[in-house]
Amino acid sequence: MTPFRSAPAGYVARWEPLEREVLARVARDVAELVRLDSGIGPDVEVGDGVAFTGVARMPEDPAVRRLLPDAHREDEDVAAEFRHLTQTDLAAGKAARLESFAGALDPDPGSAAGTDDGSGEVLVPREDAQAFAGALTDLRLVLAERLGLEQDADVEELHDQVLSGVLADDEPDDEPDDEPGLSGEERRYWGGVFVAAGFAQETLMEEMLADLRAGRHGGPRGRGR
Amino acid sequence: MRTAAPTATPTVTGAATLTATDVEEQVVADALAGLADPWVTIVWNDPVNLMSYVSYVFESYFGYPQTKAERLMLQVHHDGRAVVSSGPRERMEVDVQAMHAFGLWATMRSSGDSDGGVGGDVGGAPA
Repeated sequence: MTPFRSAPAGYVARWEPLEREVLARVARDVAELVRLDSGIGPDVEVGDGVAFTGVARMPEDPAVRRLLPDAHREDEDVAAEFRHLTQTDLAAGKAARLESFAGALDPDPGSAAGTDDGSGEVLVPREDAQAFAGALTDLRLVLAERLGLEQDADVEELHDQVLSGVLADDEPDDEPDDEPGLSGEERRYWGGVFVAAGFAQETLMEEMLADLRAGRHGGPRGRGR
Repeated sequence: MRTAAPTATPTVTGAATLTATDVEEQVVADALAGLADPWVTIVWNDPVNLMSYVSYVFESYFGYPQTKAERLMLQVHHDGRAVVSSGPRERMEVDVQAMHAFGLWATMRSSGDSDGGVGGDVGGAPA
């Protein structure tokens, strides 16, 4: 995986076929999780970011609750009203964004060869970059919950472990009680995906920020002030 | 989609009978009500979101200049939270929804409520 670089057509990086396949699969899994656990179901069609079926309910999965958090920390009524008004829309938007991300990496998940034309190039048009970065964010938030990353230091430790190869194949799982939900092999695998997704997003954000500050903004504008 | 639009007052349908003074008084009253009890949007620290991404959100969505966006981002990072916008509750609902869409952990509250530490420095220094 190479860093994203700004190019005339958008932001370009090179990812190995396995990197594309794995990140696409994780994104599709997260999209399905968000749909099911937010109550919108798998069959909601999204057009222009609008989806209105199903009933918003408090997600049971802590990772989905992080993606769709309470909007008020003390007032349950305010939080519930906000969830009622916004959750279906937010969840459908996140699921659609993750599926678009997956489609850009691996449009034909059933095919062993994928659609890689051999260049390994990942091209993110500027108008899609904000959604692409948002999908990376949601994907990383879910992986972080699964990996038990709760503090900044947890993330730094995982980075060090992954990049130094401490979590190598032959490493005995010497902390079986550390993350009871994950085996050593799972932690190595998901940790690698988390770090790769973070690298992709960090390098993408550098280029997006440079463009934004130079007035070359391709995405939807914010509400401004 | 946005959250509920501000509710039209009943007087709107009978606007033809309103005097200009009535309208002005209503506008002033609304403005004072907004000033008396504005709401705030708070972004909380998390270990996942990148500093560059948070800066990007503050600059692209709120339109804050780089210096203000970075100061708020660092405040989130070091203090655990920062007030990033203030205004009527309906406006804050829009902002919180936008922050959640970006994947940031955001909440809102009435600025009159105790929150255990976020001070009155609403939105930080002017842009």
